[in-house]
Amino acid sequence: MTTPSADTPLIEVRGVTHEYLTAAGPFTALRDVSVAATRGEFLAVVGESGSGKSTLLALLAGIDRPTRGEVVIAGTKIHALAERELSAWRGRGVGIVFQFFQLLPTLTAAENVMLPMDFCGTYATDERRVRAESLLARLGVREQCDKLPSTLSGGQQQRVAVARALANAPAVLLADEPTGNLDSRTSASMLAIFRELAEEGQTIVMVTHERRAMQHASRLLTLADGRVVPNEQ
Amino acid sequence: MNSEGRPTPVRAFAIGPRWLKVFRDLRLHLPRTALVIIAIVVGLTGAGAVLDTWSLMRRVTAEEYQASNPASATLRVESVSAATVATIRALPTIAAVQARRTMTGVAHTRSDPTPRSLVLFALDDFKAASIGKISAQHGEWPPRAGTVAIEHSSVEFSGVAVGDSVTLQIGDSPAVTVAVDAEARDVGLAPGWMEHVIYAFATPSTLAMLGAPSTFNELQILVRDRTLDRDGVRRVAYAVKQQLERDGHRVMNVDVPVPGQHIHAAQINSLLFTQGAFGAIALLLSGILVINLVAAMLAGQVREIGVMKVLGATSQQLAIMYLVPACALGMVASAISIPLAAMIGRAYADFTAEMLNFSTRAIAIPLNVYVWQLAVGIVFPIVAATIPVWRGCRISVGEALRDVGIEVGGASARVDGVTRILARMSGVSRPLLLSLRNAFRKRQRMMLTLLTLATGGAVYIGALNLKQSVRGAVDLLFGVQQFDLSVRLARATTPDSIERAIAAVSGVARVEAWSAARASVAHPDSTSSNVFPISAPTPSTRMLRHDIVGGRWLLEGDGRALVVNQRLLDDEPSLHVGDSVALNIGGKITLWQLVGVVTSGTSPTAYAPRNTIAAMTLQGRVDRVVVASTARTAASQLELMQRIRGALTSGGFVVESGQLMIEQRRVIEDHLLMVASFLGAMSQLMIVVGGLALASTMGMAVLERTREIGVMRAIGARHGAIIMMIQIEGLVIALLGWALAIPLSLPMSVLLGKAFGRIMLPIPLTYLPNFSGIVEWFGVVLVVSFVACSVPAWRVTRITTRAALAYE
Repeated sequence: MTTPSADTPLIEVRGVTHEYLTAAGPFTALRDVSVAATRGEFLAVVGESGSGKSTLLALLAGIDRPTRGEVVIAGTKIHALAERELSAWRGRGVGIVFQFFQLLPTLTAAENVMLPMDFCGTYATDERRVRAESLLARLGVREQCDKLPSTLSGGQQQRVAVARALANAPAVLLADEPTGNLDSRTSASMLAIFRELAEEGQTIVMVTHERRAMQHASRLLTLADGRVVPNEQ
Repeated sequence: MNSEGRPTPVRAFAIGPRWLKVFRDLRLHLPRTALVIIAIVVGLTGAGAVLDTWSLMRRVTAEEYQASNPASATLRVESVSAATVATIRALPTIAAVQARRTMTGVAHTRSDPTPRSLVLFALDDFKAASIGKISAQHGEWPPRAGTVAIEHSSVEFSGVAVGDSVTLQIGDSPAVTVAVDAEARDVGLAPGWMEHVIYAFATPSTLAMLGAPSTFNELQILVRDRTLDRDGVRRVAYAVKQQLERDGHRVMNVDVPVPGQHIHAAQINSLLFTQGAFGAIALLLSGILVINLVAAMLAGQVREIGVMKVLGATSQQLAIMYLVPACALGMVASAISIPLAAMIGRAYADFTAEMLNFSTRAIAIPLNVYVWQLAVGIVFPIVAATIPVWRGCRISVGEALRDVGIEVGGASARVDGVTRILARMSGVSRPLLLSLRNAFRKRQRMMLTLLTLATGGAVYIGALNLKQSVRGAVDLLFGVQQFDLSVRLARATTPDSIERAIAAVSGVARVEAWSAARASVAHPDSTSSNVFPISAPTPSTRMLRHDIVGGRWLLEGDGRALVVNQRLLDDEPSLHVGDSVALNIGGKITLWQLVGVVTSGTSPTAYAPRNTIAAMTLQGRVDRVVVASTARTAASQLELMQRIRGALTSGGFVVESGQLMIEQRRVIEDHLLMVASFLGAMSQLMIVVGGLALASTMGMAVLERTREIGVMRAIGARHGAIIMMIQIEGLVIALLGWALAIPLSLPMSVLLGKAFGRIMLPIPLTYLPNFSGIVEWFGVVLVVSFVACSVPAWRVTRITTRAALAYE
């Protein structure tokens, strides 16, 4: 992975089209979409259901590959990576936060945060716990670090999930409806956390339905029928 | 565990979180973990027990037999002096010579009124014996003058033990009661229980006390060149025979066994091979079960696999994460199965060895056998888990994250033959139709389960068929004999007088006086075949019912006409119907015409006209009688035997021994059926594996369709209806397994029957499963299906509709 200079876009999506094969035939989820984001930018992707926003996030995470076009993150052409290289890149290059948290139920909060470091071999073994506790403290759930996910509230689980996403200090944090399963107060605090992280230099792409997201995001990208809707703030 | 019933978090710095997850997942899914261990234990125990038996039998037959320093050849002579023994010993081709006397007679035991055949061996000094060494088991060895030692394989069937006394009678000499002071084992003898003979050992002075000659009548030789094959040894033995004849001794026969091979070596190898095949099948089936169980485990982890991939885990890392516990479970299973297999293997080896007159007690299972089992125990679950783990871990992140517990693709989405057939079924309720469709949703998994169940069933039916075949074989063996008891006389008499005396006894339906001889085929190169018995009935006998496979049976007016059984023809393939055959009977060579071949018998036997044999051996007299009884039970036939003995004694006849065919049959049948029962037990083990496979398949089906079950509940399905659907789904698979097992049992039955034929005795193969076997297997399938589906069905009742709908 190459480190981009300050003015180089950290995320570059160039002319991406993505088609799914469904039982009813091919379905085009994204049509010739181009997006760019620089370091520290907090990009909120909004749109109706089926507009292609989750597909865009999946392409940025290297979960899916574009049918046409390029996806470059921090200088790495992820559309060209082999599956094996993609796994390794994903662990270090991006952190992902899911709507339903997706914490591993048999691991404690701290262990969940340590897991990406374990898989990617980042940080010395004895440093991982310290880093996990530090991240959990940064997100305000330090006291919960030895608890299992099932004993935490939704908001606490999502904070742990964010800490886990940040474990390997990824260039980009991707969030898929991170507030979709939270009450309004917790949602607000979660969005505030994202804004703070962006202000600290973390690039964030968040897919959301949340109207309030606009108040926290540095830029809004609206998708409709797989296309970027122009002139949107 | 904490108050929420979750695993207590471990603050572990040394263990990476992925391994903590592995450990806690195993603990969380304890029943499934236990099932995997049980599956491995079942397979490993089955295969391990066979391996342990094999190692013990191999060692005991090779080591114990070789340690006895078996004779290269045995020459039966009229009488041999110490000087003659010295002459033979001086021959350059001979390494050692040993002279002994073998006498036949009759033994009366206290526990059984039926007299038993006796073979008594006498040596000058048993302790100094260098050929065919006899090992002491209990009591005072070697036997003192005036006492005998009983051979181990004769103890159980005769009921004679150390400390008892037994009355022995040799020929016309008066019966003498002697003490049984010792028990010894001669591994070179065909087991006494099989031969229905009491083997005993005595000193020459004891022989003299019994009225038998104390000079020796057998020479056991050991050739100097131990690399010689059977023909080479035979040439040396015939050179010895010629030397003896030059010295004026009459040599009755020469017996040359296959060098270095125990008399039952072929049977033991076949037995071990068959058992090995069963062990391999058991291991294979439990491997299939492990595949199913690991697949089930992964089915519940699909979403987590997706998440871990998102967090940077590679397929390889994940594969290792799931293979390491497979290895750990293999180690746990090995810790259980290795001692268990050793226990079973040793018990079975003891039983088999005892049957063949060996003892495994002093022999340990070699260390490398345990090492092999441990290696297999560790590698086997890894190999079995590799397929599902690799498939599970290769799933794409997107696919894994979209897994929601409702299957939308795969077999169910395709409208194929089975779906079309099910769709056309009229008069079938929707829930039943759903159960039928569900059974076919995961074809590959269903096929594996089906294969496991059907293989178990095929072996089960095969074992039932084998039992039937064994009974058929014994029927065939004894069906030839249309008589119920036989009496042997110590003094030959005229056929008419003995027949008249016995015919007058109440309960006698028919009686025939027979003659008998022992003969060997004299080859053109001056060598002879091994000795075989000739039974000599009248050609019009009604006491035998043979299957003629070539030529004809004996006719009135036949002189030196010979009918041989197939087994003798196997040993002497140069013989053909119509040929002239030179036979050595009592040291005299005569020419006979081979007129027919019959199938009967498990050992080489021939038949000749009574008058011809009687004229050659006993001056026209006979020394045995066979009797058909009107009584059918063993007890009433025993009473008849006692009445006959009484009548003969009061008529001035001397009875040497008497045998009840029904008793002889029982002993043989019991032992043979025990081997068939072992195979039956193995089949039950396989059915257990099949049941576990069905249980895991149904457990997996329930897990994968948790949300679907929630949807059904939400639209009004009751507990009972859902449980019924699961039970029917399992039953569909089980019934398919039942049906598939029937055609599979055909080759299984042939295989088992042929193997058994090689091991124990040729049997008429029962290929087609009989109706009761199929019904029995049907009953087993119903029970297995019900039990296997009970746990998954019970688990369904524990899931709330809300939890089922929320399942991800």
